[in-house]
Amino acid sequence: MSALQFRREPGQRSEETPQGLVSFTDWKRPSVKYGLGTAQVALLVLLVIVGLGPILWLAKAAITPTQDTLIHPMGVFPHGTAWSNVSDAWSQVDIGLYLWNTIAIALGSWVAQIIVATTGAYALSVLRPKWGNLIMGALLTTLFVPTVVLLVPLYIEIVHPPLIGGTYVDSYWAIWLPEAASAFNVVLMKRFFDNLPREIFEAARIDGAGKLRLFTSIVLPMSKPILGVVSIFIVLASWKDFLWPLLVLTDASLQPLSVRLPAIQGQTELGVFLAAMLVACLVPIIGFLILQRRVLRGTGLSGALKG
Amino acid sequence: MRFKTRARTSIRMGGVVAAATLVAVATSSVSPAAASVPVVKISVASLIPGSTAAATAAFNAQIKLFEQENPGIVVTPSTYQWLGSTFAAKLAAGTLPTMFTVPFTDGRALGDNGQLADLTPYADALPYFNRFNPAVIAEGIDAKGKVIAIPEASYAQALSYNRQLFTEAGLNPNDPPTTWAQIESDAKQISDKTGTAGYAEMGANDNTAGWILTTLDYALGGRMESGIGSKAKATFDNPQAVQALDLLKTMRWTDNSMGSDFDWGWSDINQAFSAGQVGMFISGSDVYTNMVQSYNIKPSIYGLAPIPLANNKNAGVLGGGTLCAVSPSASPAQVAAAVKWIDFYYLQKYVNRNAAIAWAKTEAASKQPVGTPEVPIFNQTQENLYNSWIKPYINVPLKQMAPFTTAIFKDQIIPEPESATQAVYGDLDSVVEAVLTEQNANPSSLLSAANSVGQHSIQSGS
Amino acid sequence: MSTINPTKPNLELMEPVLPTRALPAGRGRARRTPLTWIRHGGLSTLLFLLPLLLIFGAFSWYPIVRLVLMAFQHTNLVQPATWVGFQNFSEVVHDPLFPIAVKNTAEFAGLALVFGYPVPLAVAVLISEVRKRRGLYSALAYLPVVVPPVVAVLLWKFFYDGGPSGVFNTMLHWVGIGPQPWIQSESQAMPSLVLESTWANAGGTVIIYLAALTGVNAELYEAAAVDGAGLWKKIANVTLPQMRTILLVTLILQLIGTAQVFLEPYLFTSGGPDNATITVLLLIYNYAFGNSLGPSYGEAAALSLMLVAFLAVFSLIYLRATRSWSTG
Repeated sequence: MSALQFRREPGQRSEETPQGLVSFTDWKRPSVKYGLGTAQVALLVLLVIVGLGPILWLAKAAITPTQDTLIHPMGVFPHGTAWSNVSDAWSQVDIGLYLWNTIAIALGSWVAQIIVATTGAYALSVLRPKWGNLIMGALLTTLFVPTVVLLVPLYIEIVHPPLIGGTYVDSYWAIWLPEAASAFNVVLMKRFFDNLPREIFEAARIDGAGKLRLFTSIVLPMSKPILGVVSIFIVLASWKDFLWPLLVLTDASLQPLSVRLPAIQGQTELGVFLAAMLVACLVPIIGFLILQRRVLRGTGLSGALKG
Repeated sequence: MRFKTRARTSIRMGGVVAAATLVAVATSSVSPAAASVPVVKISVASLIPGSTAAATAAFNAQIKLFEQENPGIVVTPSTYQWLGSTFAAKLAAGTLPTMFTVPFTDGRALGDNGQLADLTPYADALPYFNRFNPAVIAEGIDAKGKVIAIPEASYAQALSYNRQLFTEAGLNPNDPPTTWAQIESDAKQISDKTGTAGYAEMGANDNTAGWILTTLDYALGGRMESGIGSKAKATFDNPQAVQALDLLKTMRWTDNSMGSDFDWGWSDINQAFSAGQVGMFISGSDVYTNMVQSYNIKPSIYGLAPIPLANNKNAGVLGGGTLCAVSPSASPAQVAAAVKWIDFYYLQKYVNRNAAIAWAKTEAASKQPVGTPEVPIFNQTQENLYNSWIKPYINVPLKQMAPFTTAIFKDQIIPEPESATQAVYGDLDSVVEAVLTEQNANPSSLLSAANSVGQHSIQSGS
Repeated sequence: MSTINPTKPNLELMEPVLPTRALPAGRGRARRTPLTWIRHGGLSTLLFLLPLLLIFGAFSWYPIVRLVLMAFQHTNLVQPATWVGFQNFSEVVHDPLFPIAVKNTAEFAGLALVFGYPVPLAVAVLISEVRKRRGLYSALAYLPVVVPPVVAVLLWKFFYDGGPSGVFNTMLHWVGIGPQPWIQSESQAMPSLVLESTWANAGGTVIIYLAALTGVNAELYEAAAVDGAGLWKKIANVTLPQMRTILLVTLILQLIGTAQVFLEPYLFTSGGPDNATITVLLLIYNYAFGNSLGPSYGEAAALSLMLVAFLAVFSLIYLRATRSWSTG
């Protein structure tokens, strides 16, 4: 039931709290039972209000007439609902187009990043070229450089690409390719590959598998867990991305939701705008609810990596 | 030898045909173009993103009309809004449409930097070129005397007011305030009686706050800059600017008549006004068009009045306008086509009776505003002629705008600060914001501090 | 670019893991010709490395070099770049907005630390002891992290409306507090931004702490209990020291991340009111993209370089200082 693994000592009773900070006997004491228990209930209430509250409010406001939202923001449908907000968001604001753009960008990013991370990590971890350490070092250096600081040179590179000429502003390649330069992904993958049992590789090699075969038939299938986690991170990060698409996509019809929403706020009626915002966060939220365990486990994993 | 002669002949003939086409299109509203002109593709700035479907349809109808008269030209509309923050990036990346618009503030500087196409030969070929208002056409001529942009609209700052809120507050909607003291008391009355913002002032951090403050300064007789070119100096801390800020301070903190939002930008103040949340505000005299095209404003609530001017000879109305420019990377054929479009869409209606009526009919049919008060870009004779042509189709509530239209002809219109205009506005933004958000803000020390920043902006030329 | 916190590698892990298979005999003795290289699989290895090398080369290493160069040039993309020495740096340092931006960034980072560092820890400890439905707690805590930052900021911008009918003002009214100006006030603007930022990001920290808490050896708690330690003593003597590494790493990561804050000041207040919320990143953005007549890419690059240098030095000092704490 819990999303997190917990170590259970042999012989530990299942009713004992997993962490052991508060032991089984501690829980029996009334001061602990009521004190800590109340604190936890209070925490739950707080989490619902603070964590879920704003989103529930958005869902409510998305189908509330604009005037009601303005005058009675905390009321609940004082004058009925306005589902027209959602349909207007679809037709007037053309939310469907921007939703599709966001999906297209996320998919392309996923493909690009997975390709770079898996092939690179495979080479560094399994194939181990002579200059592997040098490359690894260069990768880790980039982790020191905050990504946002590279905005300006990257932007100029997109506007006036040095060798190939032309311009890649208003092209999705300008988003997919630069984001594939994620040392974080490569390091995560390499760590995972490093932990794969080498005997299997040896066995495959003896059976005559070449490098490509090893990659596609052995390494990748064994990496499903890490691929899942990394994929979720990639898609989520792409959905949330704002500044880079803002700079690079100046054509309104190409922009994803996160860039488009602030731009049309001045032109859109409040109720419709809130409905559009709701559509923009529904996909990640629903995705999260379905894939909860993977996401939470992956976040914990990345934290452990940083440690 | 034979080939050369034939080639020369055909070139000459082609030139004659092209010239004839140009003249024919320029001087008559409907003329079939010569079939031998090759297809030229241009993209043009259309409407602000998010405009209503009706407005977009009207614009596309105009494109169709133009393409019918010019079969060799294909026009693609591109939603467009000039914003200080995005324009430079688009220009550098080359993603602006072939023909785009820039405000008066930036036209000459861009032209001097070589960032706009030279339109001189095509502009000179326009038969009405000498009928332009000299002050207005000067905005599109760079330091070397070349035409790098053609003006398409000129406006003066004005006071927009909500007639309905006036009535609800017990004020006479046909009698808008004529002095600043009246603005203050009317604002207080509106906010007391109706709970809305009696007077709203732009305060966004995107140069609009500084723009409106400069407007107030001019109306009281002050100036934000003295001298021009390399001798320009910032004069932010003039007494009239302090006076304007003191007035804002009183309305905000003592009267509490400015509502509770102080970061209005150009679009959102129009949006709020259209929704009936603002009693009075100052912006361009042409904002009614945007309110119809983007927010479906109810016409009966709109009133337009002149900005009260102080009783001194320097007091005047800040003027501005929009220029049409062409991308420097356009081919000569594209530049020619773009100028034709500028002529057709923006200018023909002022100089050609049939074009004026055709334009007015199309716009009125799609319920777009016809007749929004303008400051003439042509001379007075032409302007009067134009107004008589479109009179039957005017669908804006002109009577409600009479206070402005009668007064504007005697008010002195003053061009915006000449040097580093947008940067100067940007430097003044924080002064306005401070006064509106900090009760103890000191206008004159804020202005002095901003003055040195402004001087720096002027000197660095950007 | 993605909003995932940039990670800092643990230096101890940078040592390469030794290969687990023996090198084929005779490899070292073979002559290094292109043919032998191909025969030993060098080409296919290179092919596998190609995507990584190309992408990183084009979009990571080259821009870093370019950034350093641009900081010493005057570029406007229309004419060729000219070298101007340290002029860009001098312009930046003399910009009256520079000290303001630095101060505001420090204020944001500091406030974010006060709100966003201890609170997730307390929440994580509480959640770790929940006996039933712990997944629900985690999911609720993480939910705001999943919401796209743009939506979160625009939503909170609406909440922060300064009129009496604004959402937060209405709620304050319930408890008898008058309407607040929130982001319309110089003094309240920054804290308002920090509040939203904490809401949007604390969940991730909670989950990381939760994961770290599971790594605490339960036997240590038992031992402490035997020694007569109560709840608070256990937390102080067992939990916190065991989580030392993750706590220190999260601290530095959070500081580095908040030093680069851009989205909140950009969308909430554009750096206003009266420059109360302009941050270093926003200043960089304004240099590069904020001028309608033309960009100052050189100054933007110079300030970017200054920021990187500062963060690097700060991280090194931090690592040195905490080295003794994080080992063991």
